[in-house]
Amino acid sequence: MSAEAFNPNPTIVNTGSSWTRRKSASERHSLWITDEDEDDYGSDDGEEPIDGDEVFDLIRSISDPEHRSMTLEQLAVVSAPQVTVTNHKNHVFVEFTPTVPHCGMSTLIGLSIRVRLLRSLPTRFKVDIKVKPGSHQSENAVNKQLNDKERVAAALENPALVEVLETCLEGAGRRGQPADA
Amino acid sequence: MEAAERLVRTWVASPRDKEVEDTASGIASGEIKLLHVVKALGEYLISEEGDLRNKGVDFLAAVLSKCPPQFFNRQSTKVLLGFFTSKLDDTETVIPALRGLLALTAVPSLIEADAVEICTSVFAHVKMQALVQAQRFIVFSIFDSLIAKQRDALRNMGDTFLSAYIALVDGEKDPRNLMVAFAIARVVAIEFDISRKVEDLFNITFCYFPITFRPPPDDPYGITADDLRNALRSCLDASPLFGSPAIPLFIDKLNAGSPVTKRDTLQTLAICLPVYGPGIARTMARKLWSSLKLEIFQPTDAVTEEEALKTTQVLIKTIYADDSTPDAEIEGLAKDACEECILILKEPEKSQAKPAIKVLSAFMSTTPSISRYTLSHAIPHLIKLFLNPDELPNRGAVLTLLFSLIAAARDSTLKAASSTSSASPEEAPFLLPYKDEVLGALITGLKTPSSTLAAIEGLSALVTTPGLLEDEEVGFVVQNVNDVISGPREDASGVIDAALDLLTAISATAPTHVSESTLPLLFSALPDRAPAREDAAAREKYRAALSSLTRLCSQAVLFETLVVRLLTRLSLLCSSGASSDDPEPAAAYAHALLTTLANVLVKKAERGDVDVPKYIERLVPRLFNLLFFSALVDREGLFVATGRIVTVAARLVNLVIQTLPEARQKVFVDTLVAAYLKGEVGQLAAGDLKLPMDDRIAPFEPGATESQGNLVAMFSQAIVALRKEITISVGDQVEFLRKLLYWSVHEAKNALQRESAWHIIAAVVNKRAQDLDSLLFPQLAEFWQSEIQPPNSADSRRLAIGAWTWVSKALLVRSHPQALPTIDRLFELFDDDDVNWDAARAVGLIGATDKILTKKNHVVIKILYAQRYANSVLPKLVEGAQSRVDPRRQTAYLVALTSLIKSIPKSAYEHEMPTLMPLLLRGLDLPDTEIRANVIDTLLAAAQSDVSAGPKDIKDGSIVAEHATSLTAVMLKNSSVATMADMKVRIAALRYLAVLPRVVRYDVLHPQRSVVLKTLSIILDDPKRVVRKEAVDARTNWYTYNG
Repeated sequence: MSAEAFNPNPTIVNTGSSWTRRKSASERHSLWITDEDEDDYGSDDGEEPIDGDEVFDLIRSISDPEHRSMTLEQLAVVSAPQVTVTNHKNHVFVEFTPTVPHCGMSTLIGLSIRVRLLRSLPTRFKVDIKVKPGSHQSENAVNKQLNDKERVAAALENPALVEVLETCLEGAGRRGQPADA
Repeated sequence: MEAAERLVRTWVASPRDKEVEDTASGIASGEIKLLHVVKALGEYLISEEGDLRNKGVDFLAAVLSKCPPQFFNRQSTKVLLGFFTSKLDDTETVIPALRGLLALTAVPSLIEADAVEICTSVFAHVKMQALVQAQRFIVFSIFDSLIAKQRDALRNMGDTFLSAYIALVDGEKDPRNLMVAFAIARVVAIEFDISRKVEDLFNITFCYFPITFRPPPDDPYGITADDLRNALRSCLDASPLFGSPAIPLFIDKLNAGSPVTKRDTLQTLAICLPVYGPGIARTMARKLWSSLKLEIFQPTDAVTEEEALKTTQVLIKTIYADDSTPDAEIEGLAKDACEECILILKEPEKSQAKPAIKVLSAFMSTTPSISRYTLSHAIPHLIKLFLNPDELPNRGAVLTLLFSLIAAARDSTLKAASSTSSASPEEAPFLLPYKDEVLGALITGLKTPSSTLAAIEGLSALVTTPGLLEDEEVGFVVQNVNDVISGPREDASGVIDAALDLLTAISATAPTHVSESTLPLLFSALPDRAPAREDAAAREKYRAALSSLTRLCSQAVLFETLVVRLLTRLSLLCSSGASSDDPEPAAAYAHALLTTLANVLVKKAERGDVDVPKYIERLVPRLFNLLFFSALVDREGLFVATGRIVTVAARLVNLVIQTLPEARQKVFVDTLVAAYLKGEVGQLAAGDLKLPMDDRIAPFEPGATESQGNLVAMFSQAIVALRKEITISVGDQVEFLRKLLYWSVHEAKNALQRESAWHIIAAVVNKRAQDLDSLLFPQLAEFWQSEIQPPNSADSRRLAIGAWTWVSKALLVRSHPQALPTIDRLFELFDDDDVNWDAARAVGLIGATDKILTKKNHVVIKILYAQRYANSVLPKLVEGAQSRVDPRRQTAYLVALTSLIKSIPKSAYEHEMPTLMPLLLRGLDLPDTEIRANVIDTLLAAAQSDVSAGPKDIKDGSIVAEHATSLTAVMLKNSSVATMADMKVRIAALRYLAVLPRVVRYDVLHPQRSVVLKTLSIILDDPKRVVRKEAVDARTNWYTYNG
């Protein structure tokens, strides 16, 4: 890692204690409240398609390459409204916001999102990852790099890079829960 | 004399401990004189041959160390001392001579001059480098013993002793010797005049810092790095004179060290600084602070950061130990650090603001004047920021910082209050001068959504500071928080929960504010009549209010109000419920109200609140009144018919009865029996609703309606909670149980009624077994014959097996001698096509814990009954499941096995895992999804405990590894929606797949990796979200799984 930090003192957003999915429609319309000891797996029937919230849940706790103790969500690099899922077109679109326009870590952040989704989404989805327009000085270059299959594959051949990626992805399974929970 | 000679000769020929001991005991008993020994040794002591001289001196030294010290008179001490010191310059005898000297150091007749002589001759003749560890240890022990017994002599030697000793011990490396050396060094540093030798002493102690020693595996001496670290620290903080050379060294180590060294340095600094004193601390303050700052603002890890903060506190405390400076005139480090932090706080939303506020919060637990100083600068600054219109978007961040400071101020007052005696005059909270501004800012912040949560946290810290807020100010807080909770319930960030927690905290000290303003607000959200079926919004509103009430009302005063208000609404609903066209919403509303009461009561019962028993008068009769009324009046009986409401009411009854003393239970059970068995309901069910005279409660009578039958649930839950001393007043107990048994199989109309009956039977059998013994078992045998044997229909037999299960359970938990014979009968059914699976499941279920037979219900429970049951049944089940004689029986045994393993604690079957594994794998082929889920859960529990045990203690790892390939395949099959419809099984299987890479070595499962990853990529598209989540976790684990 370079000696000079790109952004030594980034702004943190308050993510709240725990983020819960809105109650499903069926639960809201049921007449009876459920007892505590019934398991909360929900009912067996009914399909729950993958949506933006679910995809956001997958990437929110990836840690920032520059500030390992903080997640992309805490630094407002990713947010739920920046993720769009179009199921009938099998398309996922993720937009992210680098903390400063000259952030040299943007590609790495994008790549970690890419790898996380590569591992966690069904293959039918085409995933586009882009920097928020106007938030980075070399926006086009970063976008191009992130959405070029060949270049992503080539990057994943680099063991040093993969090691950095794995450390960023270590916390991804927390899905917004604090580290000690 | 002869004895001595004989012993000496024997010993020289072949050295054994026995001769030494014999000689020593001879001396102790007076048979042998010390002189005799010396004489007998004579020829050896002066022998020309080095080896013999060595042996001679060695024997003498060994004998001396075994002799009681008081046997040496002044004369012999002097002679022996002279002898041993003279032997020090003989290379052949130096080691035994040291041993002899060590024995002499403990002798009472040793005088100061002798001690000096020992030291001088040791200094003169002993070369430490030439000795091995054990021999150096003797040298250290000599000094240790002299320091303990002849300290003055050594001290009077002055610098001579210090220089020589320091030169002698320099370069020691063995941990065993160092432990002694450090102990000596501490005494020397504290008690000797070291002023001219500080540097030398510093050099021989601080060169060991930081301790990096790691004990070898299976170290027989058991000295840990921590032992050494503590021993060394006791040297480092022994003298203030070490201060000026030590601090630069610590700063060096802090800047350059590994995280472990950093932590060690910080802890050591925190111990040493108070000893080194304010002078040196002040001189070095700036350098120390710039190193500490680095650890706080760019922490390597959380622990180091924490330690750095603690050390900073110690530094500040040391510098400002003299607390007499007027607050306004604080100069030096505290002022600079404070200003530095406040400068950083100008950008409250940035990440560096967090460590800055941590530093300021740490200052709050130093000295009162520093605390006051910190607050006088930080609070006005934060308030100014908060009020600055340009900083409007950052108000949440500002309040979060403010909260940290308030909490720190509170904790320091609390800590001070707990450490000083309560008699001391209560000091005003530090925050008192700023109370109004802070409260104002927090209340303002409460009204902006982005800062609400931070404001609530701040307010919580404020109200929990003792002696800060006036009563009416608390009222003001409550008023404002009420606005928050009456907002929409659907809050993502947990604002309402936080607000309720705040109100709960307030209600602990000032319940009136909450009960007078918050509760009416919440009750007003509860309609008198249930909202119509379509009106989801109204339903959502009352549920929100109820869930708030659940959180809030466990405090005694509030709970009393809650009970009164909710019961009123229930009566109203009950009397009008039947008249409406669609009674179900009303029933659901009543259920929600009762569930609220139950949830709060559960919390109170768990806490052991003393006000629970009084609800036998205030709540229980009203509940019976309500439900009896609706069972009698409401012909459709929707309230009781569905069973849901009765179940909750029964739970409430159960919780209250559990807490009653024996005498009160006795009175109650009589009224209960009168109502249920004789129809005399007046006493039990007193309340607002007037029960009709023309109909009566008779749930056990043939032809009773389903509604009436459901009332048995409340009867049952009351009986279950009785203490074991209570007999139910029904005349013949056995006859009562017999009737219940047949009622449960033939008359009961649904599962609720049947189980209620079984619970009564189980509770009575368990608690009153001594009254029943002789008559009960013939009755049971008859029941088996007439109900469980073939001519009955399969359905009826299944029910009878259910009853049998509960009787067996009741006997088993109290380890009754008839328990196992009773259970054994179930095995007779294993080759019966109709009920063999049911019987098999029952065998397992009997070992499971449940909510009825619990300590709280005063059940007689013998410890480890489940283990004992497992030990006696498991081998039989394993054998049965392995035998291939009769496939039908074999399957039944397998079913029983899987059901049993799910019910018993892991420790009961752990050791059998190698045998069980293949059977469990076969269990995964059974078509029953319940069984599959059980098996996977069992395997998962075993694997997870392996993960938490760490790689060293993995027990089942090798068994899992042995079956890893087939386990992987079968789990993949069970996790795909195409081959497994049941979601629970899919989730369990995926969880197992996720844990596999952690318990099995990579080389074992390496061939499966690509298949697993590929199959899981399909499962990522599961229709259910919870399943997808598990699939993602499993797949991630397999991705990062490599050698």
